[in-house]
Amino acid sequence: MLGTQIKDVILKPDAPSSLLLDKHADYIAAYGSKKDDYEYTLSEYLRMSGIYWGLTVMDLMGQLDRMNLQEIIDFIKACQHDCGGFSASIGHDPHLLYTLSAVQILCLYDSLHAIDVDKVVEYVKGLQQEDGSFAGDKWGEIDTRFSFCAVATLALLGKMEMINVDRAVEFVLSCMNFDGGFGCRPGSESHAGQIYCCTGFLSLTGQLHQLNADLLGWWLCERQLPSGGLNGRPEKLPDVCYSWWVLASLKIIGRIHWIDKSRLRQFILACQDEETGGFADRPGDMVDPFHTLFGVAGLSLLGEEQVKAVNPVLCMPEDVLQRIGLQPDLLS
Amino acid sequence: MQKIYEAELSFLEACLKVNPKSYGSWHHRGWVSARLPRPDWARELSLCDRCLSLDDRNFHCWDYRRMVVKVSGVPVDQELEFSDRLIGSNFSNYSSWHYRSTLLPVLHPQTRQEPPHASSPRGPQSHRVCEEQLLKEYELVQNAFFTDPNDQSAWFYYRWLLGRAEREETISCVYVSREDERVAVAFSRPINARCVGLLLVLDGQPLRVEWRSVHPRFRHSPVLICDLPPGTINDVTNEHNLTVHWTGNHTHRDCALYTGRVESWCRDTATDQELFRSELSVEKTSVLQSELQSVKQLQELEPLNKWCLLTIILLMRALDPLGYEKETLAHFQTLKEVDSMRSEYYSDLCCKFMIENTILKMEYAEVRVFSITDRNLTSLCHLDQLLLVTHINLSSNRLQRLPPQFAMLQCLEVLEADNNFLENLEGVYHLPRLQEVSLKNNKISTLTDLQPLASCPELKRLDLRGNPVTQAASVESDLAELLPSVTDLLL
Repeated sequence: MLGTQIKDVILKPDAPSSLLLDKHADYIAAYGSKKDDYEYTLSEYLRMSGIYWGLTVMDLMGQLDRMNLQEIIDFIKACQHDCGGFSASIGHDPHLLYTLSAVQILCLYDSLHAIDVDKVVEYVKGLQQEDGSFAGDKWGEIDTRFSFCAVATLALLGKMEMINVDRAVEFVLSCMNFDGGFGCRPGSESHAGQIYCCTGFLSLTGQLHQLNADLLGWWLCERQLPSGGLNGRPEKLPDVCYSWWVLASLKIIGRIHWIDKSRLRQFILACQDEETGGFADRPGDMVDPFHTLFGVAGLSLLGEEQVKAVNPVLCMPEDVLQRIGLQPDLLS
Repeated sequence: MQKIYEAELSFLEACLKVNPKSYGSWHHRGWVSARLPRPDWARELSLCDRCLSLDDRNFHCWDYRRMVVKVSGVPVDQELEFSDRLIGSNFSNYSSWHYRSTLLPVLHPQTRQEPPHASSPRGPQSHRVCEEQLLKEYELVQNAFFTDPNDQSAWFYYRWLLGRAEREETISCVYVSREDERVAVAFSRPINARCVGLLLVLDGQPLRVEWRSVHPRFRHSPVLICDLPPGTINDVTNEHNLTVHWTGNHTHRDCALYTGRVESWCRDTATDQELFRSELSVEKTSVLQSELQSVKQLQELEPLNKWCLLTIILLMRALDPLGYEKETLAHFQTLKEVDSMRSEYYSDLCCKFMIENTILKMEYAEVRVFSITDRNLTSLCHLDQLLLVTHINLSSNRLQRLPPQFAMLQCLEVLEADNNFLENLEGVYHLPRLQEVSLKNNKISTLTDLQPLASCPELKRLDLRGNPVTQAASVESDLAELLPSVTDLLL
């Protein structure tokens, strides 16, 4: 019967099969050294997150000391606006996404004192809407990603009680779909990225019991394709970043054993670039720091010994969170 | 103003042509449209139609369409027709089925007998769809997966249709023990022990008590317990009437403790609660029966299609969980071979169904003994349904832990779990009646692993033969110190 072909990639037999950690560390350490590189300039609009991706993966590989702490802290300070929020880069507008990234970076460096913490809290609080949702910035885009950014930022600062948590929870739960997953807004289709944000959100707000873990876990484990890689929703191609969004979600709901770990590991390793270092979204494509972090973080969740333990809720090294005293709930 | 905004919309259309997946472009278009003095929603809908015809999985476009539909008041049945057209025209149509799942409960709600509770049940589309429409929907989906058995969207949607409706919020069991002067209450969902709105009334008088979860590791529990003030009910010559009020949900449960009785309970069975399957009307039963036959025929044509196998299992569960037990287990075996990447999922799902069947059998037999042995059980669930169980036998399975939720077995007297892989006994915690524990041939390796047992005051017999911990030098004296109540120790 000729029906739908399964969308997937085929792993070549000569694809990388061992973890090239040093190459990745070299790739990240050198990234951004050429400030007028085309790709680098074009991604200025997300620079703060780019820095968070690079520093986190370096810390997971035990090589954070290769990065320039002072330069980065100065950059972050220069990105805090009067309203308290952080922009992606100097001269850009503030946004919740980059506010979270900034706070995460400062936690890595144990340097929260460098910024006005109360102002950050004020900024986050000001973005909560009547229905409990969060806008990304003053222009009003609503998305469950921003609910996650808000509670994650406040959790790291120890100030969760400053927002209306019950309302925020109500809004996120109103985004739960027939398949147990979550979308951007009520009525939006389930998507692994949104699911990661919502399960992370429910973990941080102590509401994981509101999930249908068996149903959601099934939807998530069905993301695994014959190549071993994970996609973000049905009928899509696998992408190494979903090895993070899907895997972390499964870990949070206590069902990580529902995917085939060795097949996934094989896929993630195949996404490495042996020459340049770094990970691409799929084997053979161009690498970037985003996919490099999520490839390494995914491997950490799979138990990779050469990499530090990563926290599935916040995508930060566990030892950093232990230092802060933040241990978000996980289902077992 | 209209002219400026119109120009912006033209500009945005050009942007969307280049990148139809830009959050910013769609948000800005929505921002402009909302401020247009004379918005043209028909044009916005037609933009969505064009965009979806190029890529009907573009969730930005779907979300924008939902906003336009809401603001301009497009009728739900029109949108349902729209989803019909899209489903019919495309293979990759998960977004359309998803949209349908949001429209159906609005268009064809199940009318409830009583008014909805103040805090209605959460969860995926908690509103029921009326039966007439449901049966039509089964037909629609069946056509889809018979046309293309590899169209996974239809199978996902079908599973949702088969799923039972959300449970009513209720107190499913109240248990009272005269000796322990303790009350245990089971709810239809986990609740926070510190949640206001639980009232205990004894013999017509409200009683001040402190509710707690059965284990400190989880604050939200489906079973809560409280201790009554000493001397309240311990005189066996007295009869008492107890009521637990769940005020937030306008529901309550009574329990009478008779003279001469040391314990009492009042409970809805799993069948009463429609816990494992919904009550089926005659019409629905016959529809599902014929669907089962059809999917079985399809499975013979497509032996490697895991969706068929899984759906057959789900249909059997919906129709007759006990009657189809053997066949279900056989299908799980095949499923694990056909879709080996997800074999752990199928194992856990199979465990869940076997536990459900064991609960059903236990209830039909009206006994308080729960036994699943030699079934490759890898995990435990539905422990909140085992509140009244006095004897449990989990021997010869593949369990690695007795999780904190195990502490819900408040009436447990005998625990047998030989020949497993147990190394964690967290859930054997403050079980007031537990007297006998057999854990032969497990993986208990340190004294710390046995720590939870020390919280069980009545524990007298403990069999630890075949565990690594018995090899430790001072194990006998260590255990005598840790578990002083144990008189019968086998190492």
